[in-house]
Order: sequence, then C-alpha cells, then structure tokens
Amino acid sequence: MTISEAKKLLEEKELTAVELVQSCLDNIAKKEKDVHAFLEVFADEALEQAKAIDSARARGEELGPLAGIPIAIKDNQLIKGKKCTAGSQILENYTATYNATVIERLRLAGAVLIGRTNLDEFAMGSSTETSHFGTTQNPWNLSCVPGGSSGGSAAAVAAGFALGATGSDTGGSIRQPASLCGVVGIKPTYGRVSRYGLIALASSLDQIGVFTHSVEDSALLLQVIEGKDSKDATSVELPETTIAELLRLENINGLKIGLPKEYFIDGMDHEVGSRLHEAVQLLESHGAEVIEISLPHTEYALATYYILQPSEASSNLERYDGIRYGHRSNGKTLTDTYKKTRGAGFGAEVKRRIMLGTFTLSAGYYDAYYKKALAVRALIRRDFDEAFKKVDVIITPTSPCVAWPIGEKFDDPLAMYLADIFTVSLNLAGLPGISIPCGMAHGLPVGLQIVGKAFDEASLFRVGSFFQSITDWHTHAPASFES
Amino acid sequence: MAEFEAQHLADLARLELTAEELTQMEPQLLSILDFIGKLQEVDTSSISPSVYINDLKNVFREDEAEASDADTRARLIAEFPDRVGDLLKVQGVFEQNDEAL
Repeated sequence: MTISEAKKLLEEKELTAVELVQSCLDNIAKKEKDVHAFLEVFADEALEQAKAIDSARARGEELGPLAGIPIAIKDNQLIKGKKCTAGSQILENYTATYNATVIERLRLAGAVLIGRTNLDEFAMGSSTETSHFGTTQNPWNLSCVPGGSSGGSAAAVAAGFALGATGSDTGGSIRQPASLCGVVGIKPTYGRVSRYGLIALASSLDQIGVFTHSVEDSALLLQVIEGKDSKDATSVELPETTIAELLRLENINGLKIGLPKEYFIDGMDHEVGSRLHEAVQLLESHGAEVIEISLPHTEYALATYYILQPSEASSNLERYDGIRYGHRSNGKTLTDTYKKTRGAGFGAEVKRRIMLGTFTLSAGYYDAYYKKALAVRALIRRDFDEAFKKVDVIITPTSPCVAWPIGEKFDDPLAMYLADIFTVSLNLAGLPGISIPCGMAHGLPVGLQIVGKAFDEASLFRVGSFFQSITDWHTHAPASFES
Repeated sequence: MAEFEAQHLADLARLELTAEELTQMEPQLLSILDFIGKLQEVDTSSISPSVYINDLKNVFREDEAEASDADTRARLIAEFPDRVGDLLKVQGVFEQNDEAL
C-alpha cells in the first residue's frame, strides 16, 4: 500500500491507524527474521501513537499530513530517548539526548515511528554488510545484499514493514539501495533537508532523504521534512509548493532528457543497460526529446569522492574518543584510552576510511589529494551546469548492476566502491536525484536515476510520476512479501 | 606515488590496530591510493577549489549561550562513560593511569 492510498482510507474512515500499524507489525513478525531490516521495532509505542491518532480523528481534530502513517527511521538519525547506534559498536549503548529535526517534523506531521533500521557502520558501505549488528537481506532474494548504506530502510519499505522510511545519502546511500530493493529513493539537493541530528559522515556531501513505493509519496514525505532550520546553517529557505503543483504534468511533450554518454560504460551489466534504454525509449514515445550529452569529468568522480569523503569522515569521527559518550576502553594514558577505544569500537571499513582520510589530509599530501579533489569537484559541477543549459533532466542508471550475493564484494573495498559510480557525482555537485524502479534483470529490480538542477526536485517528481503513470514496476512486490 | 607508513598514520588517527589489521589494510589502502591518484591527470590550473557546493555566504546568528533544560542535561550526564556525581571524570592529560597497567 502507498502512503497516499493509506491516507485516503484513513480519512474516509475505512481503515484505522491501529489497523494500519498492526498490519506492518504483522509483516514484521512474519518476515523480519529473514530480512533483518531493523535494529529495533517500537511496537508498543507505535500502537499507542496510532490509538491516539484514531481518537483524535474520532473527535474531529485537525491532523497532520502523515497522521497514522508508519515510517521507519535510519539509525543514524537521533530519536530522543532511543538508542542511536549508526550501526557501530562504539555507539552500541548510546541513547539519543535530543531529536533530529527530521524526527521533530515527522512527529509534528503525525507519522508513527515504527523502528530504527540497519545501516552500514556510520553509513560507510554499499551493502549494509559493515553494520556491527549483522547484514540485512534483500527481500527480493534473501541471499543478496539490499545495497547500502541505508539498506535496512530500503528493505523495510520493499518488505511492507513500513510505508516509508528515511535514509541519508552521502554518495548514493539512498538511491543505490532503492534501486537494488525495487523502491523509490530520493536524495534531495544539498541544503533542502536539515542535517541537525544526523550522525555526520561527510558534511559537505550528506543529505537526508526518503524511501517510498510511489513518486507521489516521495513528494509527500519530502514536503514534511524539508525546509530551513536555524540549527543547520547549510539548510535553505524554500518557496511554498504543494504536492499537486509538484506532480502536475499532463504530458511530457518537448521535455528534454539528457543521456550522458559517459554513464553507459563497458563494465555495466548488459541487462541493466537494456532496461534503462527501454525506459528512456518509452518516455521518448510519449513525446520527450532525448539528447545525448557529455559530462566529461565523470571518470574522475569516484576518485574525487574517495578523497573528499574519507577526509571529512576522518575529521567528523574524531569525536568518538570514549570521553563524553559511547564505548570506552581504558588505557594507561589518555592517548592510550583514545587509541584503544577507537581500535575496539570501530569496524574494518571505518578504520580504513579514517586511515585514508588521515593520509589525504596530512601535511605532505593535502595539496596533492584533498585540494586537488576540491578542484575536480568544481569541474564536475561545471559539467552539470553546462548540461542543464541544454536539457531539463538527466537520466542515468542508478547502479551498474543488480543486487549481488552477500559476501561477494566484502573483502574487496575497491570493487564495493565501484557500486556507487553513477551516484557520487550528484553529491559532489550537490544536485537532487531520484531512483525509480524501471524493470527487472536476472530476477532482481533495476532502478533509473533522474537528475535535476539544484532545488528542482519538482522536475524529478513530475517526470517520475509521469513514468509511474505509464508503467507499473513500482507496484511489484517480492514474491513472498505480497500482501 | 605516495610514501605510506600505516603505523604512523594509525598513530596520527589515534587508532590502535593489531599487526594483523595493519598487514591486511596496507595493500587495500595502496590499491585505493593508486585509484585516487588518477586525479593527477586532470588539469586544474585554472580552477579554484570548490569548498562549498551551495552559494550560501556568511550565515550569521547571534552568539548567545543557550542553557539546556534539566531533562536534556540529565540525559547527557547519563551518557558519561565515567563520572563523579554530575561531573565527567577523565584521565589527566599528563598522568598515567596505573589501574590499567
């Protein structure tokens, strides 16, 4: 069920919030042991909250736009009074002391928080396998990864455990798992959603976004969480828009779609490429104009990303030193305590990136790596600026492959990093991107990514909802999860 | 190619790594460094590095201290790994902690 369908049933009193939440909890009871999407399910509180919403509705009170809708939260967004682990041993027993802004806004809108979802440790990974608390399985094939880092959130929506979920996207961590799990995932423009209360990975790249089944739901959820927040100086004042405005598009006659030639590479899975071309042809047959474009610095995006992201991460993760909160291992001296705490508390991928970031920021190499990467970042952004002079949106594959078997890339960090090859550029340029299911390959979902100009999420929603009005991929559910 | 000394980096990062972790990590880091070294091909002589990606400038606010409420304070204190009363207990910067010897 989509959020907008559930909203309608709730408003017409054909469904109660308690029934809706209970149906998600029933799905969780049946299937969560196979999927492991959650680190914690808030069953009792969710039902209580649903009950309160049903009573408020019965009394005729005005309710928020998400009243009674069960939403799952990626476990790097603070919920006051709840544990928040970021998938790491170092925060295994940490309880959040305040709410992230997105949590405040979801609660205000009446959303029912149904649980905390699994993720790669500190969101570092593309498969959810680096979580200290075990990997998540892909509902479409339980022996495959769900993607990452927001794999728990993507799997929760795909499996019917929640109607929507939050994620965070630093290099593809929403769009890539959305693609691999057959759901819609949006990474908004940098600055659209407040990062206050998000456990930071790389602050110039991180952005919170959402997972849903439909593009319409994506717009609905984003409208709730977006907007300027005095607690995040990089958040931006937005013009007032409505969902109807965002989705208004009777036809796509004359819409200019750019296809960047650099994104259709040799290493890409052939069937994934075919699904993409079929989707683009379908849009073309409905009146869109498809234009080949070039983003010449694409081949340098991943290298740029794997300098900037570990650099920022190594700096952000300095705070986990065992002094004020989190795990502590006592050493002989204060420095020993820092080292032992961090050595014991962090997993292998986090340690690798801290080492890498420490290197790229160290005195002798700062110019050659970090500063160089900032310059290439400017060139990548300029490529997009040039392209958007010619086209309205850009379409690419979200991921070069479908979900892969658990364990396949785990010991080869570079192979894992390549899974983000089509998504990292947008984070570097700060642009919005949405991944939408566009078919199946090897029995697993394929996603297409629509990219827009900064703060032009409206175009993503319009083209995306038009695509969903002429296809039904978003209504497919994994065989054993159909309700 | 960069000179690379894993133990030195681990010390800089305040990260205790076992000999096994170091042995495993070194070739992985070298292959990543080799990959990111690709950027040296790009001519960036006419480009100024892009530190900020949106065009915000000088986001100011009043520099006013905001006290936390009693509930938040209690929650923060409850997270201290070690404390005396409501105070955070830490090791001395120049002292040795003999208990852990």
